[in-house]
Amino acid sequence: MRGVATLLVVFGAAGALALAGCGGGRRSRAAARPGAEAQGFEKGATIGVALPQKTSENWVLAEKLFQEGLEEAGYRADVQFANGGVPEQQNQVQTMVIKGARVVVVGAIDGSQLGAQVKEAKASGATVIAYDRLLLNTRAVDYYLAYDNFKVGELQGRSLLEGLKKRKGQAPWNVELVAGSPDDSNSKVFFDGAMSVLRPGIDDGTLVVKSGQTSFSQASTQGWKSENAQKRMDTLLAGTYSKAELAGILAPNDTLARAVLTAARAAGKELPVVTGQDSEVESVKSILKGEQYSTINKDTANLVRHAIEMVNDLQQGRTPAVNDTRSYGNGAKIVPAYLLEPRIVTLENVRESYANDPVLKHVVIP
Amino acid sequence: MKQLKDIFVGDLRRFGMLFTLVALVAFFHVRTGGYVLTPANVMNLLNGNSYILVLAIGMVLVIIAGHIDLSVGSVAAFAGIVMALAIRDWGFPPWAGVLLCLAVGAAIGAWQGFWVAYAGIPGFVVTLAGMMLFRGANQLVGHSNTIPVPDAIQFLGGGYLPEVGPDTGYNNLTLALGLTAILWLVVGSLRARQAARRAGGEVRPLWMVAARLALLGGVVAYSTYLFATGRPGTSFPIPGLILFSLVILYSFVSGRTIVGRHVYAVGGNRQAAELSGVDTRGVTFLVMMNMSVLAATAGLMFVGRSTASGPFDGFNWELDAISAVFIGGAAVSGGVGTVIGSIIGGFVMAVLNNGLQLLGVGADMTQVIKGLVLLIAVAFDVLNKTQGRPSILGLLLRDRRGGGQAPAAASAASPAAPAGGPGKDGTDAAKRS
Repeated sequence: MRGVATLLVVFGAAGALALAGCGGGRRSRAAARPGAEAQGFEKGATIGVALPQKTSENWVLAEKLFQEGLEEAGYRADVQFANGGVPEQQNQVQTMVIKGARVVVVGAIDGSQLGAQVKEAKASGATVIAYDRLLLNTRAVDYYLAYDNFKVGELQGRSLLEGLKKRKGQAPWNVELVAGSPDDSNSKVFFDGAMSVLRPGIDDGTLVVKSGQTSFSQASTQGWKSENAQKRMDTLLAGTYSKAELAGILAPNDTLARAVLTAARAAGKELPVVTGQDSEVESVKSILKGEQYSTINKDTANLVRHAIEMVNDLQQGRTPAVNDTRSYGNGAKIVPAYLLEPRIVTLENVRESYANDPVLKHVVIP
Repeated sequence: MKQLKDIFVGDLRRFGMLFTLVALVAFFHVRTGGYVLTPANVMNLLNGNSYILVLAIGMVLVIIAGHIDLSVGSVAAFAGIVMALAIRDWGFPPWAGVLLCLAVGAAIGAWQGFWVAYAGIPGFVVTLAGMMLFRGANQLVGHSNTIPVPDAIQFLGGGYLPEVGPDTGYNNLTLALGLTAILWLVVGSLRARQAARRAGGEVRPLWMVAARLALLGGVVAYSTYLFATGRPGTSFPIPGLILFSLVILYSFVSGRTIVGRHVYAVGGNRQAAELSGVDTRGVTFLVMMNMSVLAATAGLMFVGRSTASGPFDGFNWELDAISAVFIGGAAVSGGVGTVIGSIIGGFVMAVLNNGLQLLGVGADMTQVIKGLVLLIAVAFDVLNKTQGRPSILGLLLRDRRGGGQAPAAASAASPAAPAGGPGKDGTDAAKRS
């Protein structure tokens, strides 16, 4: 038992030494960094950018632009992709906080599942900007920067009407509606935007949805998967439209637009007027060939440039500009938002729209 | 000199991965300019990995028993969404939601256990089916939506020990926890020493025990310091508390109880176990069921940390848990492995992830490195233990004058170690290779 006593004494002493040596506990450094926005922060600070999975051209481009843009402006850029899903993104945001990031730009995989991490970021004095996708159910988000998705829907609806008038002669026209995935909060916004334009036509009979599938849940496409949209359209073409003509299809993005065009081609139908979104290379080619009618140009470079401007404002202690302080409630607060205008692209303006795009300029100018 | 080797070489064999872990921490700490061992970062490490490590506890038992469970991620997601819905829509108070979550885990476990143990369908197939089944069930029940959970659940997945007692400048509960851990270490090893003396075994001199304890105790004391001095409002994380409680419980159960030993017996040699009167089916059923309960626990912790339950929760978790177990020294063929080893294996992956993120290495490159580490860790272990060959570590650390004795020293040291599993020393070499 003497041994026990000796050891306890040794440990007590060692522990006391360790704690003493490490200095006065937490209170001494409790005075974190208050009100980053009020005074700005040093040039050359770390800026964290957390992006979702590396699945589309847009995100890969965003990574490059953020990296170059932030470094050119003199910051230390920490740009991370979360290919491993939500848990990886949670860890990445936390890591950015550890590295002392003063602004954290978050393109969330799931906007509802980062609450605890952005709260930590706020507590460390960083400013949190939701990029492209809103962060939900948390007070710890300062700004929202994105393209106006309702506007995207409106533009899709309008270009569908315009295309029908140009290519399909006199009303009434038979149309079908396709919406995005129900687990993506943007899907409903696109659909509502488009329906705000199309609803009057459906009501007065100029537009006829022969399948009767006009609600979001009927029109939605699980996982934004092209095979699902294609299957649904195959079924409709073989059934409802076995004798009738299908003049137009509202498609929420380019992948689904090409899927429904494939279905129409397979059914041996005259190609309907089809809308899209995202300016994917294959769809731009399709527009040039006169097949897909329109797509939406949400220029990633523009969005990134704006995000970096916001960072610059914060660095100098200015409040970044916003243009919508009412519409984006996230369940915990109304997030001040800066919304960029999306642009519609058809055969008429396709060449000038992409003249400055690093990838698409090679497609539109042979 | 021989004694010194006894401390280190003997333990190297058992604790090889622990030294790797320490080396990794040190490497990243230096390379990142001191970001790794900060209070906030070690809390993140625990918060962000506890749920995977909880899975690893269950998974090592499944693997020891000679099976595998691919469904854990989906089960975690399903139990999580049921809990979130129960609390939000069906009027359950949070505590009842937690119980429901665990009950869902138990029910699923009983279902899978039945097919594996009594219907004789291989665990790989049953749980592959479960992986699809419960992923689908999650998205069906939750309509592929993300459902938020209240603060009480968030506390379980991302909360900290509260502040109590006088203002000491440290978090008092964390200090108490650290002191308890150190006391436990000291008393434990002294009692083991006394037991060895009573049994007439080889008794190590007190200074050797003290040196070992000083090392381990130092680590605990330093960790305690880190956890107790974080940003106000933070301290030792609750998920860490859940994890360590489970580790202690399951180390005890697997190492010191009849049921635990039966798991090793079944995995080591099923026929022999059966002939010795072990209820092999019952043991298999229990192991599979236990895995799903722990999966539900992990789901609960993750939902708490994420503040919401989503349609892609738990995606690929089974692979993280399985790699932790194999890095931790378990054998694919069953019968070998320890809970502690798997936890250390899990921490190796966690520190690697964390360190590479701190260095700003991209997600793609991180995957490449993790893949290589998994392969190298297991390969090293297998080659190291191949029968009839001196251990690589033994060769490296061989005393120049007294060469050749290292392997002997290595095996001589192991009886003093707490039970790691039958056949930990001899048979696992055979199994691995």
